[in-house]
Amino acid sequence: MDAIGFAANIVYQFLTNASFLLLAAIGLVVILGMMNIINLAHGELMMMGAYTATISTHHGIPFPLAVLLAFFLVGIFGAVLERLIIRRFYGRELGALVVTWGISLIMGQGTLLLFGPFMPSIGIPGGSFALGSHSFATYWIALICISGLLIGALWWTYHNTRFGLMSRATMQKSAMAEALGVNTDRIYMLTFALGAGLAGISGALLAPTASISPLMGQQFVAPAFITVVVGGGANVLAGAVGSSLLLSLVKTPVGLILGAFLGTVALLLTALIVIRLMPNGISAYLQRFTERRVGA
Amino acid sequence: MAADTSIAPADQADAGYSIERRTVLQGIGATIAAATLPAASIMTRSDRVEAAASDPVKLGFIEDFSGNLSVYGLQKLHAAQLAVKEINDGKTLKGGPVGAGGMGAEGSFAGKPPIIGITGTTLPVVNDGGSKDRKDVVFAEDEDVLVDSGEKGILGREVQMISPDGQSNNALWQQLARRLIQQDKVDVLVAGFASAEREAIRPIVDQAKQLYFYTNQYEGGVADANTFCTGPVCEQQVIPGVSYMVEKFGPRGYTIAADYNFGQLTAAWTKAFAPLVGGQIIGEEFIPLSVSEFSTVISRIQQAKPDWVMTLLVGQNQHNYYPQAAAAGLRLPMVSTVNMAQGYEHRRFKPPSLAGMHNAIQYQMEVPTNRNRAFVSRWMKMFPNDQYIGEMAQNTYFTIHLYAKAVRLAGTTDQQRVKKALEAGWTIEAPEGAVFLEPGTHHCAHYIRLAVCDENHNVSFPRSWPSIEPWWLQRLGVNLIKHPEYKQYVPDEDPYFAMFAKNAPKKS
Repeated sequence: MDAIGFAANIVYQFLTNASFLLLAAIGLVVILGMMNIINLAHGELMMMGAYTATISTHHGIPFPLAVLLAFFLVGIFGAVLERLIIRRFYGRELGALVVTWGISLIMGQGTLLLFGPFMPSIGIPGGSFALGSHSFATYWIALICISGLLIGALWWTYHNTRFGLMSRATMQKSAMAEALGVNTDRIYMLTFALGAGLAGISGALLAPTASISPLMGQQFVAPAFITVVVGGGANVLAGAVGSSLLLSLVKTPVGLILGAFLGTVALLLTALIVIRLMPNGISAYLQRFTERRVGA
Repeated sequence: MAADTSIAPADQADAGYSIERRTVLQGIGATIAAATLPAASIMTRSDRVEAAASDPVKLGFIEDFSGNLSVYGLQKLHAAQLAVKEINDGKTLKGGPVGAGGMGAEGSFAGKPPIIGITGTTLPVVNDGGSKDRKDVVFAEDEDVLVDSGEKGILGREVQMISPDGQSNNALWQQLARRLIQQDKVDVLVAGFASAEREAIRPIVDQAKQLYFYTNQYEGGVADANTFCTGPVCEQQVIPGVSYMVEKFGPRGYTIAADYNFGQLTAAWTKAFAPLVGGQIIGEEFIPLSVSEFSTVISRIQQAKPDWVMTLLVGQNQHNYYPQAAAAGLRLPMVSTVNMAQGYEHRRFKPPSLAGMHNAIQYQMEVPTNRNRAFVSRWMKMFPNDQYIGEMAQNTYFTIHLYAKAVRLAGTTDQQRVKKALEAGWTIEAPEGAVFLEPGTHHCAHYIRLAVCDENHNVSFPRSWPSIEPWWLQRLGVNLIKHPEYKQYVPDEDPYFAMFAKNAPKKS
């Protein structure tokens, strides 16, 4: 019986680590992967989602609604940011990096001034169940499913809707898309808002597991950037999924045997090796691989 | 979906850089402005509690009001502000250079300890423990220990507190310590939460021979003629806590600790002392301060199957362990020297995250004595929005009062004379009980209670040790009056640790 529990534990740890990386990265996948804006305020957008969900839950709004509220609020905030600031930095990656860093400082310290250094967190919904001598949190099982659903929804949006078609066209060749009648300004704004909204959702989903404090977003920035960069830009969604699975595949056994700290070290070493061998990320390598096989 | 690197039309993109004199001058000006900005923000950030009077007594106070450790720093700031206000209003705590001990008498009490909750700012007794049919020696209890000092301020001079924000950043701590000592020339420095912060500023303190109080509980071992450590140390917390856990739950323990000097040294203490009380640490894990995701840690604990877990987690990131462990169904009893009493996790996380948490501490807001209730109501009158009064806040409070009494005894604020006055064998009546500052080791004997948190996050105190001395430094032969030293001892330097590990009774 314990063998089942042990095996289930390994699978559970693997999927938990992968979905943590995926949730941290999903907002950045859209903004960095598709729009190529180095968004250093990504952590603060997640923090904003977490605060929205926490405050609304404390005021009685059920948790799923609070998560949706976080999506819309942070998405609108992202649209405002894009209109006022980010649009002046398209094509200027270093400028975007500095200005988003400034935005992150303002958001972090502003939250500290408005809400104080910490806020009571919401309890983790759901209970736990046991298999053998191991017990698992049902909330993390839910998060694993939700992260898969989010990626699926994003994929569906970009491949089966008109907005997705126009968005892909704008990202590939914006001048051409504009010539064909696509309102590229609106597409940029909507895409940035979508990225911000996704960051808000993941912040809200991870809020029950974290301490709610103004600088809580910092813990997600490094995993998000590593996941997106290792994933690569050729096919951002597939790349993000692939990189989170690969990094988790390395981190989980090392973490279980040698400790969580060495697991993180192994993850970083893997990212280093992958970037060295495949500088444009996993998805670019896979795309070239499939192209060569198909003969294109 | 390939991303075009120049996402916007080409004319919006920057086309190379041209260096002109104007650009260079603008750049230099911007750089100078950016470099002075942090210095300006430091200088405007300090708070002045009292307006500058004629030659005030300056109390330098550095804690973290923002960042990872702010949950502790703000409590300590309020404690210092309360103490300074009471001193300036002409109040002091009972006590004097009278040696250790108190008056005892025979009395009756309930077989079970009362369970204390917190409602708003009052400490209601949720369950009074049943009929009072046990007889034992009880200590005389004062209604309140705050008395008149006979003067406003210290030696007729107002106390002025200078309290900049350390921002949980060690490099900034060093800058602030230097500034307070060299520029503001403070008469006393009360600072430090994390052991890393203390060790960052202690060399600066020693260089200037500054009188320095470290009011936090820590891993022990600081033998420094300029430093007075008024917080409890491992022999007062680890040993009572671990022996209680071994007695109640079994010998196998698992340690998870923050990965810096405090966590490593306290874990070394736990590992070395557990065999002496019949226990055994079957595994240890050290977790960096920035980690907040604990599913791997929880899984490894479940695999090891201990009887209890020793948690030495520091900082807001690491406190996420508690709700995550509860959600994952980990229901092992826990013992800690830092969690619950300092960072009030049982008030910040929903029940039953901290069910089964045991603390061997000298103070926690729920201590059910009259002098503590008086202290809590004074605090809540001054800070009505505060959520909790933690272990270290109480330490800061009585330490500042102790400093005032020592200055009155010395008759001057000259730091060398006050250090000598502090070595007079002081007992100070703190909200926790009577605290004795030992002259030779500069550490305090404390009233230690074992606090247990139940599933509703209410607290009871099933066991007390009315006075535990800080005996480790005495065993190492530290006598700072005869032989001044300026170092920190670590368990490796104590041959007894290894000796006892070999001779410990064998238990499976």
